[in-house]
Amino acid sequence: MIAYFIRRLLQSILVIIGVSVIVFVITRAIGDPARMMLPLEASAEEVEAFRDRMGFNDPLWVQFWDWAKNAVKGDFGDSLWQRTDAMHLVLERMPATLLLCSTAIVLAVVASVPLGILAALKPRSWLDKATTSFSLIGVCIPDFWLGLMLILVFAVTLRVVFTSGYGTWRHLVLPAIALAARPWGRITQIVRTSMMDEMHRTYMVTARAKGLAEHNVILSHALKNASIPIVTLAAWELTRMLAGYTIVVETVFAWPGFGQLAMQAIERRDLTLIQADVFVVAIIVVVMNIFIDLIYAMLDPRVRLA
Amino acid sequence: MVLEPKSVRREDNQMAETAEKRYILDAQAAAYVEDPLWRWRGLMRMARDLLRDKVALTGSVIVLVVLMSAVFASFISPHDPAAGNIGQRLQPPGFVNEEGERYILGTDQQGRDILSRLFHGARVSMAVGIGVIAVAGTVGTILGLVSGYYAGRVDDIIMRVVDTQTAFPGLLLALVIITMIGPSARNIIIVLSINGWMVFARITRGIMLTIREKDYIDAAKLVGVSDSGIIFRHAFPNLVSPTLTIITLELARVILAEASLSFLGLGIQPPQASWGLMIADGRNYITIAWWLVTFPGICIGVTVFGVMTVANWLRTVTDPEQRVRAAPAGTGSG
Amino acid sequence: MRTKLATLTTAVLLAALLITACGTPAAPPPPEPTTPPEATRPPEPAPAGPSGSIVFVIGSDPSTLDPQFPDDGNARPVNDNIYEMLLVRDGVTAELGPSLAKSWEQVDETTWRFELQEGVTFHNGEPFNADAVVYSVERMIDPEFNSEIISFVATISGAEAVDDYTVDIFTEGPDPILLARLTWLNMVPPVYTEENAENFGNEPVGTGPYKFVEWVKGDHVSLEANEDYWGGAPSIAEVTIRTIPEDATAAGALQAGEVDIVRHLIPEYLDQVPNAASVHGIEFPWVRINTNVEPLNDVRVRQALNYAIDVEALRDALYSGHAAVAEGQILTPSHFGYNPDVKAYPYDPDKARQLLQEAGAEGATLEFVGESGRWLKDKELVEAIATQLEAVGLNIEINIAEWSQWLDLLFAGAQAAPDLQYSSHDNSLFDADRSLSVMFTLEGSQAAYSNPEVDRLVSEARTETDVTAREDMYHQAVQMIYDDAACIFLLNLDDIYGLSERVEWTPRVDGRILVKDMTLVE
Repeated sequence: MIAYFIRRLLQSILVIIGVSVIVFVITRAIGDPARMMLPLEASAEEVEAFRDRMGFNDPLWVQFWDWAKNAVKGDFGDSLWQRTDAMHLVLERMPATLLLCSTAIVLAVVASVPLGILAALKPRSWLDKATTSFSLIGVCIPDFWLGLMLILVFAVTLRVVFTSGYGTWRHLVLPAIALAARPWGRITQIVRTSMMDEMHRTYMVTARAKGLAEHNVILSHALKNASIPIVTLAAWELTRMLAGYTIVVETVFAWPGFGQLAMQAIERRDLTLIQADVFVVAIIVVVMNIFIDLIYAMLDPRVRLA
Repeated sequence: MVLEPKSVRREDNQMAETAEKRYILDAQAAAYVEDPLWRWRGLMRMARDLLRDKVALTGSVIVLVVLMSAVFASFISPHDPAAGNIGQRLQPPGFVNEEGERYILGTDQQGRDILSRLFHGARVSMAVGIGVIAVAGTVGTILGLVSGYYAGRVDDIIMRVVDTQTAFPGLLLALVIITMIGPSARNIIIVLSINGWMVFARITRGIMLTIREKDYIDAAKLVGVSDSGIIFRHAFPNLVSPTLTIITLELARVILAEASLSFLGLGIQPPQASWGLMIADGRNYITIAWWLVTFPGICIGVTVFGVMTVANWLRTVTDPEQRVRAAPAGTGSG
Repeated sequence: MRTKLATLTTAVLLAALLITACGTPAAPPPPEPTTPPEATRPPEPAPAGPSGSIVFVIGSDPSTLDPQFPDDGNARPVNDNIYEMLLVRDGVTAELGPSLAKSWEQVDETTWRFELQEGVTFHNGEPFNADAVVYSVERMIDPEFNSEIISFVATISGAEAVDDYTVDIFTEGPDPILLARLTWLNMVPPVYTEENAENFGNEPVGTGPYKFVEWVKGDHVSLEANEDYWGGAPSIAEVTIRTIPEDATAAGALQAGEVDIVRHLIPEYLDQVPNAASVHGIEFPWVRINTNVEPLNDVRVRQALNYAIDVEALRDALYSGHAAVAEGQILTPSHFGYNPDVKAYPYDPDKARQLLQEAGAEGATLEFVGESGRWLKDKELVEAIATQLEAVGLNIEINIAEWSQWLDLLFAGAQAAPDLQYSSHDNSLFDADRSLSVMFTLEGSQAAYSNPEVDRLVSEARTETDVTAREDMYHQAVQMIYDDAACIFLLNLDDIYGLSERVEWTPRVDGRILVKDMTLVE
């Protein structure tokens, strides 16, 4: 177990270094932000002087070494766009994104588990068919399109919630739904299939034979066993959201999370900000992956982390 | 999810059975030769299954229709998809202009025919999807085959790379790269392939690990068939059906990803049309001209629906057990 | 350093916490209300003094709220309410008028003397006086400071206090447009700016009618009325400036009554939103022609391009008529140097075809570079122009470039410039020099055209202090550029603002959004 963790940790560090190097090389080698950082009238000499000052003229490995030395100390440099500590800017946006993603995943789980169970209890019923179709639609629908439609219907026409922004639940609900559609669909499908499988296992028959109430059987036995794939999938979907898939939804709903920040950084070629953003996202993904393995091991005694 | 594979040990101590194995191999080959319809029979069985499963049938019809529109876009489009006329922009579905030309789904912000653009958009979406599958599928499958066949050190290295890259923030990297190399259909294929090859590598390797235990592989080795020969002639056919499932899932992923990139302004660029781009360009008119975003939105949704249904069906048909598993691996990090 | 690591650890821990949350589905965490939505608050009855609140929308988070540094159209509407300059333009006529300077006179060719308003203080209590002006001028022109908007004040060489409320400003050579330049020089408080060098861009302090309250990055900036404002307290008490990147979302927010003012409203929304106002702006979309390459080095081809464009159709279709045809020049009648005798090329596709034929350029293939998302309907305009050019028998290859690629091409120099490139120009100094020198002279950073005669006129006019002579030089230059068809002249766009029903406001010609000009109606 400990050996496993050490190995996973080493691998995680490798991932983070790998991501950092790749982003560093891509942004430095291909793009040159100097022109973008200066006003439209800047002369060629001014641009060259700016490059010198920012160190863009050094060899790539020198630049990376300088960056890495400071990054290890927690200093990711100043954002070229907002002129303050880049890491601070990213972390400032964390709470908004975490709030959005956790709400979305909770919504998705809460809305999918009962539906999935009901569908599994009555296979081929109209409820089952409706659940299956709607869950597929949830997976298929492009989130930006759903977002725009939600704004149009619930914020502009019905005015029950706000179109955009941050602050109250009325700001939160639309982006959370837009983001939850896909995980909801996938989790519903998984709940349905896993529950169907569990319902036919012998222990279920035994439990029923012992005279346990049906809802008891379902909840305490079948659902418990079916929870492994469900929890794994939910955690995986959460990882996916945090790994940058909030960008589109945050842009549509003007949600001040780091997805929107990432988009602004990319648009402005703010190298330090992109770098800091990707670094944080890589850490989140890595940590989440370890957690998924842990959950898996905890829920399923058959799995050994070796 | 990264669980260590159970190590696969080979037992090579049965030289004596060589002759028998060769016999079995010959028998299998003979079966092929004697019944050339063997493969077709399998396909026919699948077709019969399909006709019985209504959902899957709908899905296949959708995919077929989209594919046909993509291929024959130029023939079936009522208008030139690129020919704008700002005098007749934002006209609702059913609009007939002064020359009596009908625009069944209306016109867009340049006065172009939406229906024709949807057909040509199907072409771009499919081209990007097939491009990604071709690139990512080839690279991933080859690496997976190599990894699974040689095992040991090579396997370790390749799988480390796969694990590492699966943990990459896919969309974020895609956006960064696209910004740097510029948005175009080619670059989108590159970027989405970078995000997609790992899925193919994983599945291929898994299958390879199991079939390298199969007798006929040993036999082929013994009769001196080269490594590449074994991989491609013997292992490959076994990969077809599971890979088919992955391909369809990837196609769904790519269609959605391309739409998202286009929406963020980093996807397909004019004069090409794609569904994502149509939504992106039309979104400012959402309350004025609903048809601009609604039709391409429906196209994306329905196509992905069709593709996913086919994928689900393929998975059940080819491997009943697969159906049960939670398979986040199936969609990769993209 | 230590705190950075600490925040990093916190972040990781937060992510970890989330996992436990998803294992056991719980009620969603209660969102922290950072700001109650301003728009929903019932307006208070209007007693004496500022009351009520207003929300306006910008498209992106400001880069920094240091008013002297960024070239940032999203920081400006915030800072314009916090900071002030020595002079300000009239909102209707664009005439220069007094602001923090009461009056001024030219002492000699390179020296100007300003009498300052007395009794003005910055929001933190620092007095506004000659020292503050000297400090502000020197800070902005310091090469080390490296301001992105230095070109607006480039000719200023220094400042000197004469007495507490009199100050001299010097220019390097004679500068006929110094006063216009000063509308770009915001006055900052010397002591505060020095002491808070690190944080000055996050917590601005000016002399203006509104005081800074808070900036929630990515979401909003809030301001409150400065009751001690020297020009009299403004009527609206609170201002929230919200960031909404999506135009469609911003328009939706206006329709839903969540916000009061949306800039750059899409013209199609004019009859969808509660209220709207528009004013002649200074934005000129234009198409640069690379006049050095075949076949565009032939003036007939360039004229053909101008004849081929149905500018009025573009105006009516894309901008619902909210634009003026650019009269053969990229200047508005309010700009110094505007030549009233030059008129737009008429739409005449037959003539265009004929000219192309004479020049042997029918069917020529031209690359047309555009971009997307920077200006109102930019990509749409490019596609529409391409369609019209193709209609006269040209073969147009559209290339919608990513922003930084587009910039590289715009500044690539005359040799590497693409055949045609869409751009947009706004000359907020209201003087022809800025437009002509950048776009049409050999040295111009965006120029792909040069004519020694135009070069000479523009360069001589720059230091010509005789107003009539100077104006005449620009008239000549404008005429030559027009005759040469040095670019494709298109439109001069109106600034369109979507307004809620509760706001009473006439937009200004200089594009500034000053909340003190607004009143709430109930």
